[in-house]
Amino acid sequence: MKTARFLLIVVAFALCVALPPYLPRHLVDLLVFAGIYTIAGLGVGLLLGQCGIANLGQIVFYAIGAYATAYLTVYVHAPAAVGFVVGIAISAALALAIGWPILRLSGYFLALATLAMGIIANALFFEWDWLTGGTLGIGGIPKLQIFGFVLDTPLRFYYLVLGVVAICMLLAQNLIRSRTGLALRAMRDSQDAAISLAVNPRWLRTRVFILSAVLGSVAGSLFAHYGGFANVQSFGIEKSINFLLIPVLGGAASLIGVVVGALFIAFVPELLSQFGSVHQMLFGVALVGVVVLMPAGLTGALAGIWRRSVDGAKP
Amino acid sequence: MSGHAEILGVQGVGHSFGGFSVLKNVNFTVPHGSIVGLIGPNGSGKTTLFNVISGYIRHQHGLVAYDGEDVRAESIQARSIAGLVRTFQTPKVFEQMTVLENIMAGAYKLTRSGVIEDLISLPRSRADMRRITELAEEVCAKFGMEKLRHDLALRLPAGQRRILEIARAVIGRPRLLMLDEPSSGLNTNEIASLRRWIEQLRAEGIAILLVSHDMELMTVADRVHVLYFGEIIASGGMDEIQKNAQVREVYLGA
Amino acid sequence: MNVGLLAQSLLAGITNGLTYALIGIGLAAIFKGSRVPNAMQGEFSVVGAIVVVLLLTGNGWPYWLAILCGGLSGAVLGAFIEIAFIRYMIRNAAPEDSYLLLTIGIGLSISAAVLYFFGRESHLLPGFGSDNIYIILDAVVREHVIWLIAISILLTVGLRQFYRGTSVGLRMMAASIDPVGATSIGIDVALMRTFTFMLGGALGAAAGILITPIIPVDYMIGLQLTLKGFAAAILGGLTNPLGAAIGGLALGIIEAMAIVGVSSSYKDVITFSLLILIMIAMPQGLLGRAGRTGG
Repeated sequence: MKTARFLLIVVAFALCVALPPYLPRHLVDLLVFAGIYTIAGLGVGLLLGQCGIANLGQIVFYAIGAYATAYLTVYVHAPAAVGFVVGIAISAALALAIGWPILRLSGYFLALATLAMGIIANALFFEWDWLTGGTLGIGGIPKLQIFGFVLDTPLRFYYLVLGVVAICMLLAQNLIRSRTGLALRAMRDSQDAAISLAVNPRWLRTRVFILSAVLGSVAGSLFAHYGGFANVQSFGIEKSINFLLIPVLGGAASLIGVVVGALFIAFVPELLSQFGSVHQMLFGVALVGVVVLMPAGLTGALAGIWRRSVDGAKP
Repeated sequence: MSGHAEILGVQGVGHSFGGFSVLKNVNFTVPHGSIVGLIGPNGSGKTTLFNVISGYIRHQHGLVAYDGEDVRAESIQARSIAGLVRTFQTPKVFEQMTVLENIMAGAYKLTRSGVIEDLISLPRSRADMRRITELAEEVCAKFGMEKLRHDLALRLPAGQRRILEIARAVIGRPRLLMLDEPSSGLNTNEIASLRRWIEQLRAEGIAILLVSHDMELMTVADRVHVLYFGEIIASGGMDEIQKNAQVREVYLGA
Repeated sequence: MNVGLLAQSLLAGITNGLTYALIGIGLAAIFKGSRVPNAMQGEFSVVGAIVVVLLLTGNGWPYWLAILCGGLSGAVLGAFIEIAFIRYMIRNAAPEDSYLLLTIGIGLSISAAVLYFFGRESHLLPGFGSDNIYIILDAVVREHVIWLIAISILLTVGLRQFYRGTSVGLRMMAASIDPVGATSIGIDVALMRTFTFMLGGALGAAAGILITPIIPVDYMIGLQLTLKGFAAAILGGLTNPLGAAIGGLALGIIEAMAIVGVSSSYKDVITFSLLILIMIAMPQGLLGRAGRTGG
């Protein structure tokens, strides 16, 4: 079973590398977004799947990453790496400052607090137009260059994003399989019992929150370089809800679920848009369908189908 | 405080909730490697006392000394690391984790690698995890749960959950293990099994503080204290206690 | 800062606050009765208001009849959601978080549907009563505002009485607090839950109908109302309708004071920052009964 899973991942990754050059440009474009959403969604997924926390504020760190990159590369003419690093630093610091007090809250209160965080940040991005350019935003963000190789097509950017996604997945996998992962899940299942085993929930949650923020920031910086601009419309509450939907739809318990969820969020609205202006309604309906019929998320449902077909094949 | 003859010393402990004194003046000790029992009718403060000793409540009056040191300022986690571990009246197992993982969680405090190390999977992080897994396999086998080790704790019946909780507590090398009503929900066979485990743990040098309604199980204790509405009204061996007039009065019909 | 401006702002704050209160009450009622956090409560308001608009301006129905139907539409929608989705999910032991996501999905669907069928225009309803204007403490008060305040208070008090004094209300509470125990004494838990959603839907619709003469309704307003309603409900302790009412009122007043004291662009920043602070400082909500699930 484990080797089967490993092989599946290797094949999937091989497809991810080999297939895109043959796909139409606009599909590769969507794949880039799926990758960026995977990175942001991974943070939310770790908080949800490992800690049982619903984070509706990921958009804040995504925006910080985007704006940091935008401001520093456009107005200060700093190299791209500086944008990434500053975005990460600010996001981490903010996550620590806000996380420490609010992560004491539980359940819906915490979810509401993260939502409030998103609303506050959105209003500030709008108001502080000397920093963010307000509704006009900051445009003309330079393309990324890796050792002189300019990433000016979706396909080239896609390979960068694929690389980043792979690294992030690896790190997340390490975390989940480590003693920290053990402590996180213990804390998720029974906080009292975890405390009695010397786990420090608040401290651990804060660290994962910071990690999630860093992932959000990286995704945001990538987004800024890919789109070439950053403005406040891209960072609304709907985006934050979408980020939470990623691990939920895909299946919060698994990393693959995050990828599946991100693919859903990137592709389904586009796919539905061909039906005209009714597509937003269809998205809502599709969401309801998944939630009602597939409580373990899409990967849970797929795993269920796999298990049933395997069991069915037994004599 | 005489210090190191006892692993636990409770002196003059009192605690009130909203004007109501749940604990009034509790005094008893737990000598190293012995089994001490606490009995008393419902509402006499046993759970509160457990919470005070393990650190879930900060008591208002008196002294709780673990291994000779006042633990009042110590967090639950610090007490746990020092070897003061408790179980819960209803077993709090980690339902979405397997039996083996539950036990592994108990070994968390024996290792030290940090979150960043875990993230980038440094050698120490991997070594820690190997050690935790090995230890957990041993303890799992010791408690006879090897066949169940990959089962989700969610699926375990009450009796097995109890044992799992104890195994999880034991892997962390406790020096004082506090068992809160360990026999409730168990059938006769399971209780006999539990009794053997408790004796086995004592043989390994672990002191045990036992709260139970089960008088039969209580005979495993070296010394029993009767807690009645916040105070110890009688102490001694189980046979003495059962002959005590005041105790009989308190338990009449109970 | 003159008295007139202050009074006018306070009045606006109270008016908005009562709207948030009504949304919050509906949310609290649904959560109290079913443990489902309803992320589409604001859509009940939109649906209720739109139904009234359609019947009134589209078909020329008398106002009172249109309002009745608007309220009913909320109840019917609530019943539909419970019967079509919630029951199924409960039977299949869906994880706790799914219900929140279900309501998010339904909310998205409804607001998209409103956008699709009615476009981006906003609609205003006529005020209740006459077009009279009263001057209280230098503040201009439309007659409708007086109606809004009176009806909101009536609904709040009425709801409290409903839960405490009527057989249905008591049964709904029992069904939610202890479904197994309630079933054993003959309470139809599923039906009580349907009633809960109908009640929440009707309250949401009422909120929409009451506010639309003041703030025009459009496809976007549902989400805004839901957010404020959630804040109100959580401030009040989530299962306490009276607390939600007070929370909503407080929220509205704080918001109005922020607008007049600082600037209208920072109103959300101030209100939500205060919300976070209150949640941290008073984890049980203003009336101290949040999340008490027993034991």
